[in-house]
Amino acid sequence: MNISIIGAATTKFGELWTSSPRELAKEAFNSALAQSGISSSKVEALYVGNMLGGLLGHQENIGSFYAEELGLSPVPAFRLEAACASGGVALHNAINSIKAGLYTTVAVLGIEKMTDAGGDLVASALMAAGSDEERGSGITFPGLYALMAQAYMSEYKYKEEDLAEVAVKNHFHGSYNQKAQFKFKVTVADVMKSSRIADPLKLLDCSPVTDGGACVIISSDPKIISKNSVSIVASEVGTDTLALHKRASFTSLNAAKDAGRRAYARAGLRPVDVDVAEVHDCFSIAELIAVEDLGFSETGKGASDLKKGKFTRGKGKTIVNPSGGLKACGHPVGATGVKQAVEIFEQLMGTAGEKQSVTDAKIGLAHNVGGSGAIATVHIFKKNNF
Amino acid sequence: MITTPVKLWRRGKKLVNHIGVKGELLYWTIVRVPPKNFADQAPYPVGIVRLGTGEMMVGQLVDWTEKDLKSGMRVVAVMRRITHEDKENIIPYGIKFKPL
Repeated sequence: MNISIIGAATTKFGELWTSSPRELAKEAFNSALAQSGISSSKVEALYVGNMLGGLLGHQENIGSFYAEELGLSPVPAFRLEAACASGGVALHNAINSIKAGLYTTVAVLGIEKMTDAGGDLVASALMAAGSDEERGSGITFPGLYALMAQAYMSEYKYKEEDLAEVAVKNHFHGSYNQKAQFKFKVTVADVMKSSRIADPLKLLDCSPVTDGGACVIISSDPKIISKNSVSIVASEVGTDTLALHKRASFTSLNAAKDAGRRAYARAGLRPVDVDVAEVHDCFSIAELIAVEDLGFSETGKGASDLKKGKFTRGKGKTIVNPSGGLKACGHPVGATGVKQAVEIFEQLMGTAGEKQSVTDAKIGLAHNVGGSGAIATVHIFKKNNF
Repeated sequence: MITTPVKLWRRGKKLVNHIGVKGELLYWTIVRVPPKNFADQAPYPVGIVRLGTGEMMVGQLVDWTEKDLKSGMRVVAVMRRITHEDKENIIPYGIKFKPL
């Protein structure tokens, strides 16, 4: 069965105090729908990726909330929550519903409103993705990834400057993205002198708190999949312990590794076949672990490959995070997984505008992680060419 | 962190088993931007500790100095206050680690 993206869009990402989550959802959905060329009456179900609607907005029952707002009621609507992988998990479930033969065309919305609340409240709310013991220790998500950074640096002999290179690359990519939260470039020195958040991670090693929405319309209907579209050839999810300290490795995420392995097998592809990827760089260290878990780099070589330009537009073979990633484009947690699919769609279609980082690319990949690696999704996309 | 008296009572029964158990600090970070209810303690180190029993734990370090922050540092599990009492006047306690 060919399941393809027929429309894809995001809102601007950033500190959007003048926009409500309803408005962001509507903007993303209406743009994606207009692009698909179908009418909303063809949308048979809605899958929503959202993490913090309850904790920060005191709004649960989110499937119905957005179905109503988008004018889709009475279609079935579901909210999928998997921390920062909510978007990827929503996409996975939408795909499964089509594969099950229940629907042919569905909408996947990723949405998060984070900046209305204060920083300490957001940090606490995000810790809902961790374990009870982690919450009791007073650790934060930057803190958990800082522990991984320390393990990675000590195991493979890297310095803080090597981590900083991730932020330098992703801000460079983000500088081409009109919808990115941050369009400025940074240097290693800028990262090194930014304020310490959780040693060894500094402010510029961390993705920001962001508002934003993203939407993809997917379909298996051959009559509406145009010749020029993008097919989803693999959608896999892996899980692991909620708590970081219970895992066998602190320098690799087994949930992502396992989902990746299954996705490659399902698609009949290898890491070397991937032209462009959006990976979950919530912190600089996370991108280094991601490129190793996905097989773009050998174990322990992620940081040195990145420094050599292997993942940078204009230089590398596999371009990683052409949108600027979570780091520069922004990280509205439940929207991120869907935004990654939108970005890969645009890169493969050649419609990414200034941020277009690959030419005639055939294969793209999206890697979305929840918690400190308790859940991960890997999607592989292929340019349709009937 | 959201606590309720009943939840604290359930957790407390398990926590006491760890008091006095020795272990080794593997990795640590210093949390400088804390979550809600931890502001008065920041900055504070949090580490991953391997206990002598083989069990892995995560916890704050107490009574520490800069020189204690190294891989392989011996620590002992102690019972300490986690945050301030809530509006029901229950003080949450938990395990923290003290350098030896």
